[in-house]
Amino acid sequence: MNGRNGRNETNDSPLANPKPALWKWKNPYLGFVLFGLLLSTLPLFSSSGLMKSSTLNYIGNVLVYAVAALGLNLLLGYAGLISLGTAGFMGLGSYIAAYIAKDMGMSFWAALTAAVLIPTLVGLLIGLISLRIEGIYLAIATLCVSEILLKSFEQADSITGGMQGKSVSYPVLFGHALNRSSTYVLLVVVLTLVMMLTHSLVNGQKGRALHAMRGSEVAAQAMGVNLLQYRLIAFSLATAYSALSGVLYVFFIKFSYPSVWNLNLSLYVLAAVVIGGLRSIYGTIVGTLVVWAVPDLILKNLPIVGKINGLPYIFNGILIIVVVMFAPQGISGLWQRALPFKGKKKEKEAE
Amino acid sequence: MVDPLMDLSLDPETTTHTLAKGEALRVERLSISFGGLKAVDDLSFAVKKREIFGLIGPNGAGKTTVFNCITQFYRPDEGNVFFRTWKDGSDSVINLVGQPVHSIIGLGLVRTFQNVEVIKELSLLENVLIGAHIDFKATIFEQAFKLPRARREERVFQRKAEEALAFLGIADRKDLPAGGQPYGVLKKVELARTLMANPRLIILDEPAAGLNDSETQDLASTIYQIRDAYNCTILLVEHDMRLVMGVCDRICAISFGKFLACDVPEEIKRNKLVQEAYLGEEEA
Amino acid sequence: MFFEWVFKFEDVFKESIFEYEKNAMGASGAFALERGGIVSNELGTVLQLFMRSLETGSVYALAALGIIVIYRTSNLMHFAQGSLGMFNTFVVTYVFLSFRLPLWASTLCGIAAAIGMGFLVDFLIIRHTKKVSPLAKQIITLGLIMVFLGLAPMLFGVDPLSLPRFLQSGDFNFGIASISHNAVLNISLGLVLMGILFYVLQKTKMGLAVRTTASNEPVARLMGVPTRRVTLAAWALAGVLGCLSGVMIAPTTTVTTSLMDAVQVNALFGCVLGGFQTFYGPVLGAYIIGVGRNFLVYYVSSIWGEQIMYLLILIFLIFRPNGLIGKKFVKKV
Repeated sequence: MNGRNGRNETNDSPLANPKPALWKWKNPYLGFVLFGLLLSTLPLFSSSGLMKSSTLNYIGNVLVYAVAALGLNLLLGYAGLISLGTAGFMGLGSYIAAYIAKDMGMSFWAALTAAVLIPTLVGLLIGLISLRIEGIYLAIATLCVSEILLKSFEQADSITGGMQGKSVSYPVLFGHALNRSSTYVLLVVVLTLVMMLTHSLVNGQKGRALHAMRGSEVAAQAMGVNLLQYRLIAFSLATAYSALSGVLYVFFIKFSYPSVWNLNLSLYVLAAVVIGGLRSIYGTIVGTLVVWAVPDLILKNLPIVGKINGLPYIFNGILIIVVVMFAPQGISGLWQRALPFKGKKKEKEAE
Repeated sequence: MVDPLMDLSLDPETTTHTLAKGEALRVERLSISFGGLKAVDDLSFAVKKREIFGLIGPNGAGKTTVFNCITQFYRPDEGNVFFRTWKDGSDSVINLVGQPVHSIIGLGLVRTFQNVEVIKELSLLENVLIGAHIDFKATIFEQAFKLPRARREERVFQRKAEEALAFLGIADRKDLPAGGQPYGVLKKVELARTLMANPRLIILDEPAAGLNDSETQDLASTIYQIRDAYNCTILLVEHDMRLVMGVCDRICAISFGKFLACDVPEEIKRNKLVQEAYLGEEEA
Repeated sequence: MFFEWVFKFEDVFKESIFEYEKNAMGASGAFALERGGIVSNELGTVLQLFMRSLETGSVYALAALGIIVIYRTSNLMHFAQGSLGMFNTFVVTYVFLSFRLPLWASTLCGIAAAIGMGFLVDFLIIRHTKKVSPLAKQIITLGLIMVFLGLAPMLFGVDPLSLPRFLQSGDFNFGIASISHNAVLNISLGLVLMGILFYVLQKTKMGLAVRTTASNEPVARLMGVPTRRVTLAAWALAGVLGCLSGVMIAPTTTVTTSLMDAVQVNALFGCVLGGFQTFYGPVLGAYIIGVGRNFLVYYVSSIWGEQIMYLLILIFLIFRPNGLIGKKFVKKV
């Protein structure tokens, strides 16, 4: 009894300091908008020659993957459910969008809507499965769905172009045919919107219910959270994000090949989420940068490292391992700990 | 004090599908077994409105199992649980057995857990807001786009949650993450969370476990306050005999899932069967 | 120019679309049926299919065994099993082509490299991850994949290599069906190896140490089981198993960084099909997938056969969420 009492009183000090005010936006949406505005200035640098033209492609690529990573973060970080099906759904989104925009000649909006809705319906099925299958089995089950999709991409030549892949042109918006720079701006706009929506979603009632589902299933149920409903919500959201990411991919890169949508892609998205930090929106973006942009933008341009085949990937692999070993809470965790004294003290007390 | 319910519960053939006047909850001939072991065996008792009712028994007596059967975390093998709920402004009696777990709170029955089940990553305020989950009416789109209804609801329930936290005296910590808070505070957060649901009946599973003496004292008065301020019935399982004997109006004692006695605290203390059950435990 | 960054990870080895296609088909359609030969009747076809499937199954089973050994001893889903195997197969191929050693000697070199790699991974990384959360630990295997995907082209160049079979020619004829000597070798190698492993696991003191570590690492350590050595050995073993499965599958395709992709995926499916609670479950699952896949592809649809197989696995999991041999856990409130 005494031991218990002791524990209770140790950190009972009056906690006068609320959340660290530093780095907290009074209106978080302002931060997102500013972030988006900053990103959308990049084509200017590119066209004025201050930045290599290919750099814009790499960054655009990162933005595309960031959308999928945000979806996986929603699933894994908030709902505590794991999926290795990200790549399959991205692929599905990209092929549907390409098929509708190119073969059926319909508008960008129609392609976008269908390419997000159809995979989301498939995602609902996985939500149903997740009630029966858990943990590592669920991860492999989602991989199973992804592999079924991948094999179908390879085989259904008439729709997907098979191994030769599928190509589309830049989207046409309101009668304007976009070019590379304006498509890039479109990516930025979509990503910013997705970040804002994600932010308000996770900080509202639905987000709290997802939190509860992860933190304590029994408490969630006792508080009236219908687990089936929220698993479906979590999976359909993650799938919708993946599919949206696939749509952006195909319209920005203008190609979709089966070989892109394999297990490794799903694993890299997962790596981006964990490295960036669970439940952190900016962290996810940073994680995506680490996984995709660091090897291509930084390591490949280093004097010696970049010249040897494969070395950038080795470095990036090691970087990922080191980040995980020394910052298990991800980069956002590091960031929070670096903030004025609060985090460190807490941690010591916890031990 | 003669309890008319006792007679009913002792007669094995009687099953009423309503509650007697003044009853809030009646557990009737409840049985559940796990792998051949009867965890709860033909248990019956009734809780009156605005009563603070205790369920006691030696370790492994099946108290928490009873709670889990009432709140439908476990499906009882046999028996009924009748509960007076309010729908459309008027009282109605419903059999909880067979209801989905997540619908129980909507009927006005909320519970806490033996090991506090709060979400470490959320702030205290957000944890309490989970208690209002079922009262939010805004759709997922309204919430994602922060449309007026979603904002209004968020504002209203946030104020309510702050009130609940203030009621329990921990309003100053509302923005701190639950992870790292002392056990006593977390217990209060769980209590505040139950208050958000406008409960008819609150089930407390060992509310004093892990609390020190002064906190336990505190808890006793808090339980009274909750009952009076929120006008509800309280059913609790507790090991701390002083708390149970002090705070409860009536107590039901069970051992190995079987009914021993149900009476006012003084009578329970004197009851031979109850004494034997506890002594037996001490000898072993 | 454009392709270079479309194929973000493939660009390392700059293979043409054609080669990619051949490779992907080869790797996923492991030991695809060579029609012709002496297939005279239905029974013969079935027999022939079955034997080929056993060969495919052996490859998957060896990889699956590597995954489950790591899963049980390090509590980690070994996503890098395939990449590790791919790297060591590159070692074998490189030694075979550059030093003109016989294939068996090259394979021994590969095994030595696999053991070394396994030690290195455990010694440098896994050992230091006691405090890392299970999920974050998982990401380490992704880091490993990247490292191996980079190491292979750095050390062995970007051109696809080819590795011959152990036994170049020769068939056993049963009148109604035939099987190559090499296939028999592969099947028996797989079976003998697994036989030895299971014997060691079940009957020896060393096996007991592994099993105790697998069931509860902290308790095993307290009881004086050298869990560190067990884990070290497990990583070496997984490396060897990966290398052997790589060497078995290499002759059916070319040796590239995507050599083991299909094997990795199927081995994972084998693990869930068999369940993670036993060592033999995943092996069983892997053989079932090998057999099921080939029969579905041959009898049902050459296009949709594989997808049907995966769909069946999914449906099976819904009814038995813990796999074939798995036990059910009861959650406590």
